[in-house]
Amino acid sequence: MALAIEARDLRRTYRTRTGWLNPRRLELDAVRGVDLDVRRGELFGLLGPNGAGKTTTIKMLNTLLIPTSGSARVCGFDVVSQTREVRRRIGYVFGGDRGLYDRLSALDNLRYFAELYGVPAARQKRRIGELLELVGLTGRERERVEGYSRGMRQRLHIARGLLHEPEVLFLDEPSIGVDPVAARELRNTVAGLAATGTTVLLTTHYMAEAEELCDRIAVIAGGEIQALGTPDELKHHAEGRRVLEVQAFGVSDAQLARIDGLPGVREASVDVVGTAQLVTVQSDATVDVQADVLRLLDGVRLGRVTARQPTLEDAYVAIVGRSPVGAAA
Amino acid sequence: MRLLAVGGVIAYRALFNWTTPSMFVGTLLVGPLFQLLFFAYLGRQLGVADDSFYIVGNAVLAASTACVFGGTMAVSNERRFGTLGHVLLSPRPRTLVFLGRAIPYAGNGLLIAAFSLVVGSALLGLRVPLAAVPGLAVTLAVGALSCAFFGLTLGALGLRFRDVWLVSNVSVSLLLLLTGVNVPADHLPGWMRVVGGGLPITHSAEAARRLVDGDGFGAALPSLSKEAAVGAAYAVTAALLLKVFEAESRRRASLDTL
Repeated sequence: MALAIEARDLRRTYRTRTGWLNPRRLELDAVRGVDLDVRRGELFGLLGPNGAGKTTTIKMLNTLLIPTSGSARVCGFDVVSQTREVRRRIGYVFGGDRGLYDRLSALDNLRYFAELYGVPAARQKRRIGELLELVGLTGRERERVEGYSRGMRQRLHIARGLLHEPEVLFLDEPSIGVDPVAARELRNTVAGLAATGTTVLLTTHYMAEAEELCDRIAVIAGGEIQALGTPDELKHHAEGRRVLEVQAFGVSDAQLARIDGLPGVREASVDVVGTAQLVTVQSDATVDVQADVLRLLDGVRLGRVTARQPTLEDAYVAIVGRSPVGAAA
Repeated sequence: MRLLAVGGVIAYRALFNWTTPSMFVGTLLVGPLFQLLFFAYLGRQLGVADDSFYIVGNAVLAASTACVFGGTMAVSNERRFGTLGHVLLSPRPRTLVFLGRAIPYAGNGLLIAAFSLVVGSALLGLRVPLAAVPGLAVTLAVGALSCAFFGLTLGALGLRFRDVWLVSNVSVSLLLLLTGVNVPADHLPGWMRVVGGGLPITHSAEAARRLVDGDGFGAALPSLSKEAAVGAAYAVTAALLLKVFEAESRRRASLDTL
């Protein structure tokens, strides 16, 4: 089996020092023994909460950070000792507004990075044209990037990451802060890349995005891989559960804690959706907690109440909740 | 060569803060010209040296603002735009990527120095021998390039230290004091002369004065060679610092590359 990415017991500890007169040394194990095999041409998802170690893992794989211990190879090359070989074969795209030269046009940004990434001069013009077409920026390429929307910047990030036709593309939360229409376009672009044989390692917070795009997904929490499999396989982690969703207005933390403490309840969380809150309660499939939950929400204005089968997101919550970090939280 | 030339020019447009006409004219042309006039009139008042001393010295020094701050911006502004990580992911040699960035700043510095010399001479009535012009062009170019590599060395510190602008500000003041452009070197304490000898501008200012005095290129050559050596030393230092700090950033995660 040809592997694009292999990581063995990959670890990274950050050491910081604060204070001058009475210095205090802090150590943080951001990644604690990650093993990963990503096949060539695979679209692999790395999911996890904030601070789980996703970006640190990617930075070790793309050579920006040296692992504290363990080893990793990309396209067969060691990420510590064969950095130039690795860098020739990878592209890196991350979400957010930064990472581009605002004063330059999209065209000049791409020209400059084409030089940096060693795209031969004779091929640059055609390649840049192809990429602008691919990401839908044709016609806007001579405008300064400072006037671009976040979605346009994100598409330019992807074009930049693909300039040198990398074999492996790291996408670090590419759709963060992007509107739904732009996010869908991004997903189409990423799916198209995978179809051309590019290996993609994607980190995201959006379950729907991961479920739609990824061949396999690893859930990382507390710096360790907690579960790994296809989206369907991961859903088994929520087997034996049922999910109750209650639309509400004004649920307090104390009420949520009481719901979480009900017999049979595995997890209870609340998300803000527009002007409302969405209380999600995962419980054992054999226990019907609906009446108890509604009783505890007495006095709160309620909307729609729905019981449904677990989704990938519920499986993710279950996996992260079972991890040492999730259990401690 | 493309990386050096094309890459350098695009990076200049991307990273140099003073490319708008108003900033360029105000900060890089008018400012140094007033500084030249200030010291020339002060020199007349105090009788320390003649106009030629100040016009030539300050014209050579005029390149320093663009070169020192430009060199600093060439590295530090990568942090500002969040592009440093993408630059460091380039498989191309760092020396070419970053040293190439010094060339447009040196060109910029040469233009400013020439402007200051021409306008300063016209305003204060200095006659520069026609035969000295080619030599002066070479001297100003070497001084500007040396200064740009000095700026790049400071910029390289920006990979390790966040407040590198402080160092650039202090360095520009030191150039004013220690390079002998406004205070004759033999008026300075010995240790200051030693420090000045290791700074850019010092030797090119000396070479330029010889040329304007009509001593010929041969007389200016020793000073010009020293300036070239100082510039080369800063180029090597900048390349080494960039290499060391990049390696350290991978090991210690000391750089917020993205």
